[in-house]
Amino acid sequence: MQFLLQVVVSGLAAGFVYGLVAIGHSLVFRLTGTVYLALGDVIGLGIFTTLLVAAGTGPVTQTSVATGRFLGALTVGVLVCVVAGAGGYLFAVQPFLQRGSTLGWVGGTLALAFAIHAAIESFFPRSGYVFRDPIPFRRIGEAGFVAVGDASFQVRTIYVGAVALALAALSAWAINRTRSGRGLRAIASDREGALVVGVPVERLVALAFGLAGGVGALAAITAAPSAPVSADTGTLLGVKGLAAALLVRFGPAWLALAAGAAYGLLEAAIANVSLGDLELGPEYSAAIPLGLVLLLLAVRPPREAFEEVE
Amino acid sequence: MSVAPAFARTGAALREAGRNALLAWGPGAWLALAAFALAALVPFVLPASVRLDGLAQTGYLALAAVGLGFAVGVGGMPSVAQGAFVGVGAVGAGHLIGWGVPPLLAALVGALAAGCGGVLVGAAVVRFRPVFVVAATWLATWLFAFTLEALPSLTGGARGLTVAPEKIAGLEPSATLHYELALGLVAVSLLAYRALARSSFGVRLRAAGQRPAAAVALGVDRPRLRLAAFAGAAAVAGLAGGLAVQLDGVVDPEAYDAFLSFTLLVAVLIGGAATALGPAVGVLAVGALSLVADALARLTGAESARFGPMLAALLVLSVLATGSDGIVPAVSRRIRRAGRQEHEPGVELRRPDEATLTADGLQKRFGELVAVRDVGLELRSSRVAALIGPNGSGKTTVLRLLAGTLPPDDGGVALDGRPLTHTADERVELGLVRTLQSNAVFGELTALENALVGASLRRRYGGALRALLATPKARAEAREARARAQAALAAVGLQKRADVVAQELTGSEQRLLMIASALATEPRILLLDEPSAGASSAELQRLAEILGGLRAEGLAVLAVEHNLRLVRKIADEVVVLHAGTMLASGTPEEVAGDPAVRAAYLGRQSL
Repeated sequence: MQFLLQVVVSGLAAGFVYGLVAIGHSLVFRLTGTVYLALGDVIGLGIFTTLLVAAGTGPVTQTSVATGRFLGALTVGVLVCVVAGAGGYLFAVQPFLQRGSTLGWVGGTLALAFAIHAAIESFFPRSGYVFRDPIPFRRIGEAGFVAVGDASFQVRTIYVGAVALALAALSAWAINRTRSGRGLRAIASDREGALVVGVPVERLVALAFGLAGGVGALAAITAAPSAPVSADTGTLLGVKGLAAALLVRFGPAWLALAAGAAYGLLEAAIANVSLGDLELGPEYSAAIPLGLVLLLLAVRPPREAFEEVE
Repeated sequence: MSVAPAFARTGAALREAGRNALLAWGPGAWLALAAFALAALVPFVLPASVRLDGLAQTGYLALAAVGLGFAVGVGGMPSVAQGAFVGVGAVGAGHLIGWGVPPLLAALVGALAAGCGGVLVGAAVVRFRPVFVVAATWLATWLFAFTLEALPSLTGGARGLTVAPEKIAGLEPSATLHYELALGLVAVSLLAYRALARSSFGVRLRAAGQRPAAAVALGVDRPRLRLAAFAGAAAVAGLAGGLAVQLDGVVDPEAYDAFLSFTLLVAVLIGGAATALGPAVGVLAVGALSLVADALARLTGAESARFGPMLAALLVLSVLATGSDGIVPAVSRRIRRAGRQEHEPGVELRRPDEATLTADGLQKRFGELVAVRDVGLELRSSRVAALIGPNGSGKTTVLRLLAGTLPPDDGGVALDGRPLTHTADERVELGLVRTLQSNAVFGELTALENALVGASLRRRYGGALRALLATPKARAEAREARARAQAALAAVGLQKRADVVAQELTGSEQRLLMIASALATEPRILLLDEPSAGASSAELQRLAEILGGLRAEGLAVLAVEHNLRLVRKIADEVVVLHAGTMLASGTPEEVAGDPAVRAAYLGRQSL
């Protein structure tokens, strides 16, 4: 039972981050009908820009960066991410949407993804980098772990989950309540109509691409101190976020968040829980959830996935 | 028994094939032959400093790219999973060779395994819209990578699975042998691509990718064709992987990750997806890039692996930004003169058999709205009926109910007295064909190829494999289908425009082409949705003559029409719809005299 609590907490913390990425994927799909294949790597760019500004490319220890400098680095990282996300739309997606070329935006966004990935790897060639924790969670409990009954879990996982939830709430609020959000919803339901009534379509969509990257990066950076990060960290977030978004058919923000949470829980369960003799372990935690999502997509595809033939 | 005549027939067919090949042999073929002969000599004239195994690997990569090019360019499926299928072939062949299976057989089994993987993924995605094809194949690529990570036994763990070099067909497995093998396979794959793309299989596949609804309306079994193309492309990738792994000597899981899928897609994009040669040229361009990356790396002292992706990304973005559809299409547009294809001597379309289509008490609701209420009518051979009514009166809905593409809530449609419950291609095969409302021609196909989509409907020997092997039956049938397509074009007066790409035809020519494609299926009942939309008065006259000709040929025709002058000229019977119900029916004169019709619909306009 206690062990289960541990799995739930860590699964949810990872899952809410996937959920935020899934919200970004859903938003992009609803606005443009494309899949933003570079989203994960744009987020990775945010993580590593923050790391670069905070500590350079050398090894970072838990005490080597001042909090003020870290906050500055975080701002720069998220800003870079917003600019890269929006730039990705303007250079790798929008020109091809205009031409109706699917291959164009697929090639464009993948090119952007791999270029960012390669750039990160060339600055940060080692397989894992420790991210400095701006909040000293390690002083709480026993080296950052607290015990509830027999279970013990990292305090910062709760913090990560809370931040991700807050960001999701903020995103949902922005989409539903702000003027720009109304514009975005208008574009999603009828792009031409939105243009006619004077919604600045291109500017808002570029902004949405940027925010999808920025919000994802903020969540990913919040989670980053929990485990070493590498160039693959962002890429994998993008893939898992896409899987979660597909699970709820690129649905509304809260649904996408829930799908991400479910995905994270499943991963944690596969990594840790044993059912009788069946013990899977962490090596299967990536493959099985993704396989299930694909299986579900094959067996019960959403109606909007089909080409209209009548 | 009848062995001797069979041999004689085969001999005659072979002689004829030889003659045709000689006739078709032009400067382009000489050029291609010379290029491959030169390429085959490369290992023997190359300075020792150039690594031949790299060239051989490039050759295998090109093989996989040609397969992907077919799925993307002809099949219209933007797959980003081709690298995973290369991996399936490599892992499969690597293990088989370890168990003592001969290398070529191992590679073929690897190809088969990848083909099965292609069927699995393809079964899910062939009905999808392109964006969902992208999403699903992208996740499939990652699933393959995660699976290799989860099951280290598949790839021999951290050290990788060593594949000991074995003699291939009795020859030493040198880099030279692999190079020549790869080159030969690329040549074969290019020929296969060309043969398939031009066959009726390829034409229907392209049609299904460009205008799904229009292709299905012409009886194209879209999912089956696309599945064959997707799985075939995967099998080619598996073959490339199964052979390349023998050259590498090790199964390296990281070699088949998402980056390989990306590289293959880049090659297809840069070279040009819609041509056979494009993907192979694209692989060469990517290969040249990696040489540049190496040079840059030497200059800066960094690892070249870092520059490759960035250069590839820059190249693909700049090629894409120019709006080009790739190197090969751009070059070939400059050097190719508009070639005229040979056309078969005139064949007449088969006179249609008798047919009746009866509808009784048709009812259709969309939510609260009753779109069609209690509509009944009968279509008979050698008669033209017109369905008229104001906008929103339910004309197109009735047409869809009659065509069987929309199930009625109540009432039923019967073809020759039997209720209409068939799949789209079965209905077309039974002779019930409908054209769509918009100009739903296949824009990138020529007029003749458009008609060929319909003319290929009843082909029994028109599958991908038979087209590849060019069996005598398939060839005879292809000739006949081409002749039928030609006859269908002639029936609407478009025979002189046969080689024009459909999107370059005028609007009214496109509408006539839609009728021609439908006629090429040799229908008994033709349902036309606003054939006169946007036509000038001269074009109306031409359309009236064509419809009159179809009636004389014995077809049953129903046209949804707005143009009352055309209706009066051509219709034997007119059905007037108003708010989903039948207001009147009868001859044009009877309907025109009906006071209810005049009051409710026609107003001051006279029929």
